[in-house]
Amino acid sequence: MKDILRILIAPLLWLAAFSAVYGLLGLICGHGIGGTVLGLSLPRVLLIAAYGLAILLQAALLAALYHPRLAARSGFVRFVSRITGWAGLVAAGYTLFPVAVTSSCL
Amino acid sequence: MNALERHRRLRAIWASEPGMRGWLSTVNHNDLGRMFLLTAFVFFGIGGLLAMLIRAQLATPHSAFAGPQIYNQIFTMHGTIMMFLFAIPCFEGLAIYLLPKILGTRDLAFPRLTAYGYWCYVFGGVMLLVAMLLGIAPDAGWFIYPPLSGAIHSPGINTDFWLIGITFVEISAIAAAVEITVSVLKYRAPGMALDKMPIFAWYALITALMILTGFPPLILGSVLLELERAFGLPFFQAELGGDSLLWQHLFWLFGHPEVYIIFLPAAGVISTVLPVMCRTTLLGYGWIVAAAVALAFLSFGLWVHHMFTTGIPHMGLAFFSAASTLVAVPTAVQIFAWIGTMWKGRPELHLPMLHILGFFCTFVIGGLTGVMVAVVPFDWQAHDTAFITAHLHYVLFGGFVFPILAGVYYWLPHVTGQRRVFRLGEVAFALVFLGFHVTFLAMHWVGLMGQRRRIPTYAPEDGWTAINLISSVGSFVLAIGLAMILIDVVLHVLIAARGRRNPWRAGTLEWAMMTPPPAYTFASLPQVDSRTPLADDPHLAVRLARGEGYLATPREGARETLCVDIASGRPDMHVVYPANTRLPVTMSALTGVFFLSLLVKFYWTVPLALAGVAILACKWVWGNGRREDPEPVQVREGITLANAATARRSPGWWGTLLLLSADATFFGALLFGFAFLWTVAPGWPPPEWFAGAMVMAGIGGFGALIGPAAMRQAIRANRRGDTALPGIGLALVGALAVAAACAAVMVQTPAPMGHAYGATLLVLGAYGLFHAGLGALMAGFLAARVLRGFTSRVRQAEFSIVSLWIDYLSVIGLLVLLAAYLPGFLS
Repeated sequence: MKDILRILIAPLLWLAAFSAVYGLLGLICGHGIGGTVLGLSLPRVLLIAAYGLAILLQAALLAALYHPRLAARSGFVRFVSRITGWAGLVAAGYTLFPVAVTSSCL
Repeated sequence: MNALERHRRLRAIWASEPGMRGWLSTVNHNDLGRMFLLTAFVFFGIGGLLAMLIRAQLATPHSAFAGPQIYNQIFTMHGTIMMFLFAIPCFEGLAIYLLPKILGTRDLAFPRLTAYGYWCYVFGGVMLLVAMLLGIAPDAGWFIYPPLSGAIHSPGINTDFWLIGITFVEISAIAAAVEITVSVLKYRAPGMALDKMPIFAWYALITALMILTGFPPLILGSVLLELERAFGLPFFQAELGGDSLLWQHLFWLFGHPEVYIIFLPAAGVISTVLPVMCRTTLLGYGWIVAAAVALAFLSFGLWVHHMFTTGIPHMGLAFFSAASTLVAVPTAVQIFAWIGTMWKGRPELHLPMLHILGFFCTFVIGGLTGVMVAVVPFDWQAHDTAFITAHLHYVLFGGFVFPILAGVYYWLPHVTGQRRVFRLGEVAFALVFLGFHVTFLAMHWVGLMGQRRRIPTYAPEDGWTAINLISSVGSFVLAIGLAMILIDVVLHVLIAARGRRNPWRAGTLEWAMMTPPPAYTFASLPQVDSRTPLADDPHLAVRLARGEGYLATPREGARETLCVDIASGRPDMHVVYPANTRLPVTMSALTGVFFLSLLVKFYWTVPLALAGVAILACKWVWGNGRREDPEPVQVREGITLANAATARRSPGWWGTLLLLSADATFFGALLFGFAFLWTVAPGWPPPEWFAGAMVMAGIGGFGALIGPAAMRQAIRANRRGDTALPGIGLALVGALAVAAACAAVMVQTPAPMGHAYGATLLVLGAYGLFHAGLGALMAGFLAARVLRGFTSRVRQAEFSIVSLWIDYLSVIGLLVLLAAYLPGFLS
């Protein structure tokens, strides 16, 4: 089962992060969270922080999938889990990129 | 024992009862797979006839063929039948028929569950058909949006048929998904490690996992909408704290993954059939597995692209637009791997290959228009036009029907043991291909010219007349083509021209047996060392028939197989299956009484039906056990395995874990709904917060915490050889305490019909109460098993299963209490 988890974990993390950031956007817009931090819009800072955290977690997970102690013994599982690891990282970077450029609650 | 003697003895053990009784009592995957497929294709025919009626209506302007009310029912039932009663059951049928054979085992993990799922599907489907014949079929479109589908705008019983009928049918999908997942993970031939699994098994596994997580949000949505319609709980009424957008979220949380749930099995068929047609092996096996996994997960992040026009903030639109374009990448990886496979091999244009080529042309166009509608500004223009209808047909017909027809022609010689005599199929393919493209290319065009989807008629001055006529002519050509395929298949079955055993010279295990396949599939189970064992050893079928594999000697009339370690494929358990029984059909009939009672609002039979189902479920499980410790069984010379009843992680444990995953998704979707309404819906905060007695929260919390600890104590005591009854009793008390606390939430919740907040708490409380009742029932059942000697230090599997349920109850019990008490406490 650990091998199956190794294959599924990175896209699962992406799905969790994607849903969490979308939920955060909902909270920000639904509750009218505003204000500034260091001259920057608080909603933008929160969303970019969440985006950064998502990428960081995906990168850490990918590194773990390459680590000899955590990687699968089976060459096939190692290969597939690393591809899905990269898929999770790319998906996090690409699908959450709008936090950096689009208006948040319009 | 010679091969013939082995065959006779195995057949006596595995055969279904003769005649009609056999239909009702069979639990064999061969029978049930064929029954599933046959029923699914009957529904496909009915759905197709409805499509013809739609095209007849739209062929000319101001058509009086059907009035708007009937027309609404026709297009709603067309979509509903094709999505829920054809596509998903067709996958289930194919997987049920094929998986044990392709995995090198004798049956699926839970044969009676297969039968139960089949009968739920039949009864639920018949319920919808009866509604259609009576002229009271659902009429609010296949995604049945409120407020149109709410009690105010759709007061009749039509929508209730959809909500209750589809929920009934979905039991079948969940049952099949549990079955398929456990089977692929645990029921494989010895030696079949993950990297040696046939590619279809990977696709089936991924699809089944998607069903387990994709269907529960729709079941929840259906429950909530039915509660609103029947009892006035206002989940979707904006003036009472509800929000109709909640339905769209719940529906599309299911609905978009559903597209891939339909496509991925078809991709499994392509990946299996294409290399055989090209006389080569599949290019990029690992890449395809990874792409299918990525596709499955990405598909859960696309649901809002069906809601681009609902006023969601631009950033939200951009998230889902990005995800929707990204999903093209893993799809393209698979397409390119298939093109590479064709390039590598020597394609032979047999009939299955023609349908695969039809798939390529059609699905790629559907995928590309999918990328078009993933782009928000374009979607705003095309939304709810015939362009979208055309796009989804390119994806679903191209991505499912063509591959399935390829599969039908590929595996038909396996099902019948015969060969095709007439060449009708080739002409039929040409008509289907031409008819489809004429119909739906025209539909793209008329959609871009502004024709809305689902309109019953239009005026000549709209300028759509000629295109609609062309589209309708194309659809009738398509229908003639499909009818010819039906005739071709019937002729194949009726004209008994004996075929060769492996007519395609394929390398996978389903061809390593006689055809049509015997009920036991393999006379002895193969040892697998590659993805194409039959290509490595063309005489494998004969060797297995001779008994040169595992479990070659039939024992004590038992239906035997073995389980393997998930990763390595090393044999790790010996399993004995249950025999034929009418329990599944009876239990599904009683389940049907439950749903029917809700439908006709005859509520006093609801508890009776539920009690009946509970009694039959107990009978179902009670028959599994044994009162003496099973001896390890020699499955092959030098290899002895313990019985599954002695395992901590038995097949039942895996099945429970997966069922609970689906259950957890349902609960997660309910919490999401609560959070969504609170955050987004108008009319919040509610006029009154829940202010229940804290003592009840304390009792519930105590019960939730004590249950898992007590079960662990019971497990330890059982392992030591001491009595487990005190621990089980304490777990039972814990479950009852949670039940009391959840009942208190239900009773004390403020005005459930006055505001969505109270309604949500009522449902949360009911969910907790239901699971507490289930936990108590299981603990009581386990106590009875202990008292009657069905458990021992060795026979411990049932403890682990009940422990899982009690753990789950503990987690959801605490969350229900937290969701109920915390907001009021903070306010």
